[in-house]
Amino acid sequence: MSLRQFLDKIEPNFHKGGKYEKWYALYEAADTIFYTPGKVTGGTAHVRDGIDLKRIMITVWFCAFPAMFFGMYNVGLQALQAMPTVGVSEVDGLRGAFISLFSSYDVNSWWDCLIYGAAYFLPVYIVTFVVGGFWEVLFASVRGHEVNEGFFVTSILFALILPPTIPLWQVALGISFGVVIGKEVFGGTGKNFLNPALTGRAFLFFAYPAQLSGDAVWTAVDNFTGATALGVAAADGMDALQNTYTWAQAFVGTIPGSIGETSTLAIMLGGFVLLITGIASWRIVSGVMIGMIATSLLFNAISSESNYMFAMPWYWHLVLGGFAFGMFFMATDPVSASMTNTGKWYFGGLIGVMVVLIRVINPAFPEGMMLAILFANLFAPLIDHFVVQANIKRREARLNVS
Amino acid sequence: MSANDSIKKTITVSVLLCLVCSVLVSGAAVMLRDTQKQNKQLDKQRSILEIAGLMQPDKSIAEQFAAITPKIVDLQSGQFTDEINASGYDQRKAAKDPKQSDIVPADQDIASIKRKAHYATVYVVEKNNSIDTIILPVHGYGLWSTMYGFLALKGDTKTVVGFGFYDQGETPGLGGEVDNPKWKALWTGKEVFDDQFKVKINLVKGAANPSNPNFDHQVDGLAGATLTTRGVENLLHYWLGENGFGPFLANLRAGKA
Amino acid sequence: MSTTKETILSPIFDNNPIALQILGICSALAVTSNLQTTVVMCIALTLVTAFSNMSVSLIRHHIPSSIRIIVQMTIIASLVIVVDQVLKAFAYSISKQLSVFVGLIITNCIVMGRAEAFAMKNPPIPSFIDGVGNGLGYSIILLTLGFIRELFGAGKLFGVEILPLVSEGGWYQPNGMLLLPPSAFFLIGLLIWGLRTWKKSQVEQPDYKLAAHSKYKEAM
Repeated sequence: MSLRQFLDKIEPNFHKGGKYEKWYALYEAADTIFYTPGKVTGGTAHVRDGIDLKRIMITVWFCAFPAMFFGMYNVGLQALQAMPTVGVSEVDGLRGAFISLFSSYDVNSWWDCLIYGAAYFLPVYIVTFVVGGFWEVLFASVRGHEVNEGFFVTSILFALILPPTIPLWQVALGISFGVVIGKEVFGGTGKNFLNPALTGRAFLFFAYPAQLSGDAVWTAVDNFTGATALGVAAADGMDALQNTYTWAQAFVGTIPGSIGETSTLAIMLGGFVLLITGIASWRIVSGVMIGMIATSLLFNAISSESNYMFAMPWYWHLVLGGFAFGMFFMATDPVSASMTNTGKWYFGGLIGVMVVLIRVINPAFPEGMMLAILFANLFAPLIDHFVVQANIKRREARLNVS
Repeated sequence: MSANDSIKKTITVSVLLCLVCSVLVSGAAVMLRDTQKQNKQLDKQRSILEIAGLMQPDKSIAEQFAAITPKIVDLQSGQFTDEINASGYDQRKAAKDPKQSDIVPADQDIASIKRKAHYATVYVVEKNNSIDTIILPVHGYGLWSTMYGFLALKGDTKTVVGFGFYDQGETPGLGGEVDNPKWKALWTGKEVFDDQFKVKINLVKGAANPSNPNFDHQVDGLAGATLTTRGVENLLHYWLGENGFGPFLANLRAGKA
Repeated sequence: MSTTKETILSPIFDNNPIALQILGICSALAVTSNLQTTVVMCIALTLVTAFSNMSVSLIRHHIPSSIRIIVQMTIIASLVIVVDQVLKAFAYSISKQLSVFVGLIITNCIVMGRAEAFAMKNPPIPSFIDGVGNGLGYSIILLTLGFIRELFGAGKLFGVEILPLVSEGGWYQPNGMLLLPPSAFFLIGLLIWGLRTWKKSQVEQPDYKLAAHSKYKEAM
């Protein structure tokens, strides 16, 4: 019996009135992992396209892979570089067992770095997936809708924007908050006005600042403290930053930071695929870039003696912190961003302006991408409203003239 | 129009109501004034005792505070003054009043306090006719907020008895850890001056190393709160330095205060 | 005319001033970061609501309708000032933490709302009881918030350590967000969610409904 036949055979059990009615969501999820969904556009919709939510979400998921693999490599690289300085030669516990099973602790071997990073990233990702998936299935079952592939995207994005040393129970708490408060309370995928992954991270950021910020959390070695590049720039200025890291280093991503956010190169690799396939809106990405460049040029021109961040040029803003990741993967989230084409420019621009504003002016948060995007998410419906109203007015005026 | 809405009735009702209410309110205020004043003073004394690390839980606050005398110091000359009365003086208010304070020039203002009062209230504990402990009010800007606190020094004006803040609005969990009793306990026994009585106290990243020769002048920084830590260091340097209590402490050592 | 029992109980779950009418949110955010201030605030508000209701009801036949809001305000304001003075005299450190929020009871919509909606139309005793009931409705939400926020935000209840903190050698990592006022928003939201799942009648009608898709044939 082929898999298709098997699935078809058990299907009636999951329909209304069937034995496992409550588990329909799970059945549907399993079925559509293997086969194209049976449903096709019906009714009077005008647009028919081969692409659906499932395909979009899976593409985004794959596009995050370069950043993920590079992130794992970099977590290992940073940690293995740091180990000798604090006099540690190996990792204890399960992680240590995992690492010694596959590799050793050689900083020059990319394989060793990758495995070391995997020992830190995989638990984070698995916890995210299991806990977040639990909520997703729970809500889908109670509400009688299907489990949505959007969660693939949320889970990987959430895991990639965390620091490598984050305790796993915080991961579980964060993704729960992100999925439940950020998405499900509003009715699930498509109805959320905030990006769930960022909502979860923002929750952790404010709830457990000691594990989400500061200098001690970015390298997966106990007792090692190393500031992020943005932290260095904020505390000691651009000269200190350039003495510590080169721009090329920051661009390639061999600097400490959140797991998947360091490599602008790897992110762009996935990001451009998203742009070419039209899944990520080029208008939003351009808007973010323009807003960021304009604001940082403005701050460069004003310049300040006491605040070093004023002097940071835009091409550094681009490669540091979560900017690139946020721009390609978070800001372009089609649900929480503006919907209208004009609105997307303003939405992107708002993010670009806010991120530099937070990075430069705010003394407490060296990084501002997460808050900038969440802030713009709140304004997206308002922006759309004005764009639509402006359009109505324009057409009204045209009508009156003729 | 009902009888209630006539102008006469409206005025009568409002006048009567106002009378009753004002009697009630002022009655309460007058009757409770003394208790309130006492409370306010007790509260201040308690925070001074707690922060200076002199609190003994088994004694009443008034009893403990009897040994402590508030005195006014002229920050300019660095000497005690009788020009104003210590009991009615509020340094925090004075620092905001242009008549009672000076603008701190930007290049001296490492603690970002902007204005400095002419006079400061210090608290002195005397034993056997010599100064046993002196408690200095200090404040300065951290990350978000101005932190107000007290620094209690031994009679040698060098060794810390206690240090802490009674009012701060730093990030809970990071900068807010200035209120952590463990961190505050680190200060006891540290020395804020070197042998030549130059200010020498630093907050170091991570934990201070006991084998370091400067260990007596070092305190652990607050993990993850670089700017609050820096703020604490700056305010100590400011208030112990030339523009703060530096001259006063020098006079005190020379016995000329 | 409802019975006394109903007057006092209905504001607690069926017609809760915070959870159903969404009134008095401001102080619910501000004072609930620890239980001690929460309890004091609850008592203060309950007393003010009860006595202002009673006073307004006593003179309700003599209040000119043109100045009735001002009359209510004056009564409430006087009571609040008295409460504030008493707190300053007998619970100074708590009144310092509550700071302006005792004074802001004046503008708390629950107090004004009950005076206008209930006390103006009912005799003094039921009005007093209604005030107590609404005060309790407010209190139950605030106490829940205060309990959750202090327990998980600081590991304490009434300042007594329950969950030993990591920073003091224990095992509990406090949730800093619960100490920030916005967390009360989330908690109130979750409480309302729970309450409306339990009592379905409180769910509001949606503002509009999506029309069904037109059928293929109709469109052609």
